[in-house]
Amino acid sequence: MTSHSSSSSFPDNDDEPAGPKRNTDDNIGSIDYSLDAIENQLSSIALKTSIDGERPSVADDHHELLTETAKGSSREIESERPINSTGESNLSTETGVWRNSSEVEVDGATSSPCSSGYAGEMGTSSGTASASGADDVQQHRNSSSSEGNNGEVLHSAQSQWVPGKRHVDEDDTCMSWRQRKKHFFVLSHSGKPIFSRYGNEHKLAGFSATLQAIISFVEDGGDRVHLVRAGKHQVVFLVKGPIYLVCISCTEEPYESLQGQLELLHGQMVLILTKSVNRCFEKNPKFDMTPLLGGTDAVFSSLFHSFSWNPASFLHAYTCLPLPCTTRQAAAAILQDVSDSGVIYAMLMCKYKVVSLVGAQKAPLHPDDLLLLANFIMSSESFRTSESFSPICLPRYNSMAFLHAYIYYFDVDTYLVLLTSNSDAFFHLKDCRIRIETVLLHSNVLSDIQRSISEGGMHVENLPLYPSNRYGSLFHTEPKPHETSVGTGGPGGLWHFIYRSMNLDQYISSQFSSPITNYKNQKRLYRAYQKLHASMHHQQTGPHKTQFKKDDNYVLLCWVTQEFELYAAFDPLADKGSAIKICNRLYGEKDEDKGMQFENNFNIVFKGTTDFKCDMQAKVE
Amino acid sequence: MPPYRKQILIGRGRGDQFQSIVELPKVNDKEVVPWVCEELEKILFFHPADLPFPAQLSVIGLSEGLITFTRIFSPEAACEVIEAEMHSHVFFEPEPDIWMVMVVEKSKETEAIFRTEALRTILKEIHSLFIMFHGSIRVLLDKEPGGGLTRSHLHTFIMDYLTDFLMGNKFVLPNFRDSLKERGTVQMLTVGREAAIEVQSLVGALDSCMANTLGYSVILFQDLLVSTTLSPEDTTNLFSYSTLRLTPRVLSSSSGGTSTWSYLRKGTTFVPSHADLASRSASNLSDENYRVVRPLQHGKWSKGKDGFLVTDIWGVEVGNLVPTTPTLWLQQTEHKMYLCSYQHKSLTILLLIPVTSMLNGEEGITSLKQQLLENVSTKIFKVEEKLAKGWGGENAYHVKGYRYLLVDGDRCVSRASPPGKVTTLTKESLLAMNKVREDVDLEKRRGNGGDDEKDLEICIRAKNNAWVIAKGTRGKELYIVLEKANETLLYASEAIEKFSDRYCNGAFSLD
Repeated sequence: MTSHSSSSSFPDNDDEPAGPKRNTDDNIGSIDYSLDAIENQLSSIALKTSIDGERPSVADDHHELLTETAKGSSREIESERPINSTGESNLSTETGVWRNSSEVEVDGATSSPCSSGYAGEMGTSSGTASASGADDVQQHRNSSSSEGNNGEVLHSAQSQWVPGKRHVDEDDTCMSWRQRKKHFFVLSHSGKPIFSRYGNEHKLAGFSATLQAIISFVEDGGDRVHLVRAGKHQVVFLVKGPIYLVCISCTEEPYESLQGQLELLHGQMVLILTKSVNRCFEKNPKFDMTPLLGGTDAVFSSLFHSFSWNPASFLHAYTCLPLPCTTRQAAAAILQDVSDSGVIYAMLMCKYKVVSLVGAQKAPLHPDDLLLLANFIMSSESFRTSESFSPICLPRYNSMAFLHAYIYYFDVDTYLVLLTSNSDAFFHLKDCRIRIETVLLHSNVLSDIQRSISEGGMHVENLPLYPSNRYGSLFHTEPKPHETSVGTGGPGGLWHFIYRSMNLDQYISSQFSSPITNYKNQKRLYRAYQKLHASMHHQQTGPHKTQFKKDDNYVLLCWVTQEFELYAAFDPLADKGSAIKICNRLYGEKDEDKGMQFENNFNIVFKGTTDFKCDMQAKVE
Repeated sequence: MPPYRKQILIGRGRGDQFQSIVELPKVNDKEVVPWVCEELEKILFFHPADLPFPAQLSVIGLSEGLITFTRIFSPEAACEVIEAEMHSHVFFEPEPDIWMVMVVEKSKETEAIFRTEALRTILKEIHSLFIMFHGSIRVLLDKEPGGGLTRSHLHTFIMDYLTDFLMGNKFVLPNFRDSLKERGTVQMLTVGREAAIEVQSLVGALDSCMANTLGYSVILFQDLLVSTTLSPEDTTNLFSYSTLRLTPRVLSSSSGGTSTWSYLRKGTTFVPSHADLASRSASNLSDENYRVVRPLQHGKWSKGKDGFLVTDIWGVEVGNLVPTTPTLWLQQTEHKMYLCSYQHKSLTILLLIPVTSMLNGEEGITSLKQQLLENVSTKIFKVEEKLAKGWGGENAYHVKGYRYLLVDGDRCVSRASPPGKVTTLTKESLLAMNKVREDVDLEKRRGNGGDDEKDLEICIRAKNNAWVIAKGTRGKELYIVLEKANETLLYASEAIEKFSDRYCNGAFSLD
């Protein structure tokens, strides 16, 4: 496992130290000075200019970090988190008082769900961590530089990427740590480190106190710091009650995107713990939250990885696996059937894609909740090995309370999630799952899913040159060999597009075509879309209607209406006029065709096709 | 930290050892005094000076803390901006370890929506003008390590500069409504072939007037540059100074006449009550110990009977009360130059003569002036007449249907729609343009301003249906707002193409 993860893990470019490699010994002397200096500059002002609020002392905090872990405040969570786990837990004492289960007898070991999905993750994440942590900067650079030549496509990047915390041995005195492209930190309002993407939280206590000092200093002045910009670096701050989140990045992503990522990071924590953790800070400002997140490294690293490939993280929409309408309807019918019996949301998923999603509630499941839930399930190995019943919180649905998720994998990619508020519903949901599985097998839904996976998604090459073809033309009409999803580019120099339906909160994204064949190019396009999205939806000036952007890499065309958004990437030499024509064609030339070529890519069970058609009433100019 | 509004300060980095001349606040805590002392030493300029010291120290502390913090990750470029909910802090490091920080309050209601780079350009302009007259801050600090000399100079200079932004008791800084302007660039007069030959001949005559002194000449018509023999940087600085204090528009407004049209700063009228702002607020700096020249002091320049501009800013000769000729430093050559200004109607001629080559000082200047009057005045009259005849007036550079800004970064030159025409644009369009410019600024900064700047084209149809367009190619930038509703992207592109072909020599055209 160890050797495997170090050699085959797909490195996230953010891991890569930014900029030219500097002499590691350089500036180390000034590093210690730097933190001390900032502490002095900020905290001494706070102390000596009659602002006598508590300043976090680095040394003190560090001590408390070590001693407070086992103190009672963490038990607050224990009592507030519903304990519904069945079966045996293999938790270490460190990974959560609250996960100790009240044991419920279950027949047979195989039918016993894990107490929680990420409980079994300790082995994976720590194994990965130790493997990657052993990488030195140079090795790391080598592995990331080779990625560009592998010709791997994004989905294979996903499958090869191994979740887990990297570079655990680093701290802020290491030059390699400082050169990481994108850091995420979570700390408490008293300056205690809760989480750091890279490095050891305990060793970063001093750095964490510095971040706290900056935030508090500005807050003491009656203001709130959002962003600090320095050269290619941005430091983005987000305050969520007693929890402070900070991102330090030189990835050139827009501020709005980074802020959105911090929101999702917070949401992922809430999904695991609920917002009631805030009460612990009310009772004890120096409460140490770190142990509560023990074993969840893989969940967070997987989330950070998704920030560089998953459009859902900035579009706030979800995507579906392309399937014939009848297949999706068959899946929806049985899920709907089940949801009438106390299931709040029922979803059949294929990796991050929705096969079918139904809910008893009038409120649709928020795409961010879906993203965080899918990330949580996908990044936790233990869910794959047995059926599970895990308490989870949907931050957008109700951030204060736990729901219970019944999770079952039908095969390596396809899984069922049934959400209920009833903590005793495990056996009922198990029965539901058996019914669902029977129907899915009978109606060939599971085999259709496999076929869809092997066929891949929409290909721009299949876009008709003339607007005579009916919808469905973007799909493969005949099965294509497995994993030959890189195309040659579409008409008019079209390389890629994303279409988002506003009414459905769903998007579709075409397969990558030449020359966007490797992970580096795909990530670059992803970032370009991110910028385009942020620019179109700027708080002060947006939403804009149309944007045409041309640089050395692409011609990008974005078109936003009340019904949909279209993002399309073309060859940088593409003609403006033909790019516009292609966008119109993508969308459908005739009124009755509007967007219908995307019909098989949306989960439209509850909206109905008429609603879907209503989406499609505009034309780019 | 108490609430703060707009503040501008210059601090210097840690590591400088010198004594503060700033009067210390009365603090009882003995431990605090040395610390406060050390912190206050760092402040070379702070506005508003009447802000309590703890508040000043708070701003300094935050600024310095973040400069140090950001250097951890970005050693080559430290903190540039802090965006908070209610304030923006804009940073500029004009010299190593000398920092200028501007803090502005943000407010939608008061239209206080700024572009960071536009605010930084103000800091840049302050520093460029300062070193033109006083030399670098570091040299001043080296000259008198106590810092008193530097503080006195900075205080009077910056306060004189800031009076231009005062409206009543408030500073009005360039906001989103100025997104089709580019401070720190030169605006040129377009001249016909015939006039160009006349101008060239005048430049030659001025050169021969300065004989062997290796001097330079700059010619302005109204607030527009006609000709220069200086480097682009020095031209920009001198142009800025001229349009602030020397051109006929400025002289007529400061002498109480009605304000005429200004290409640069339309509507900015000088309020005499602000003239002594620097002197008033400088009282606590004890600057009477230093002889401080105030080149930006208002109402100090006037036109003499012989056509030469005179001022006593640089003092007067003992005995005959003749004003001393102004001097300034050239950035490129670091030479000290005499500044000799002559004005005829709308034409302003600036001659820069190296101090070292004028061995007989003021006497030499007098004979130079005499020579100019005798040998070149006819040419000057002729050129003025020619340029005035060809001059299209206030809206000379208006292009119907377009609101535009064209910037040539390499030559530090810009041209824009007349301010009066830009005001016809809606707030939405201007806000959208402001944001587009902010994005382009970011791209430029990330590209480290290298010569191989990437080509870029952004066409946005804003929610009010206006087209907001930015194009950049080979160091040139073009920004255009088209508010004709219901036009397509192709129409907008065609309009840009036409504009580029006709007014930009095809620089932004596709072929």
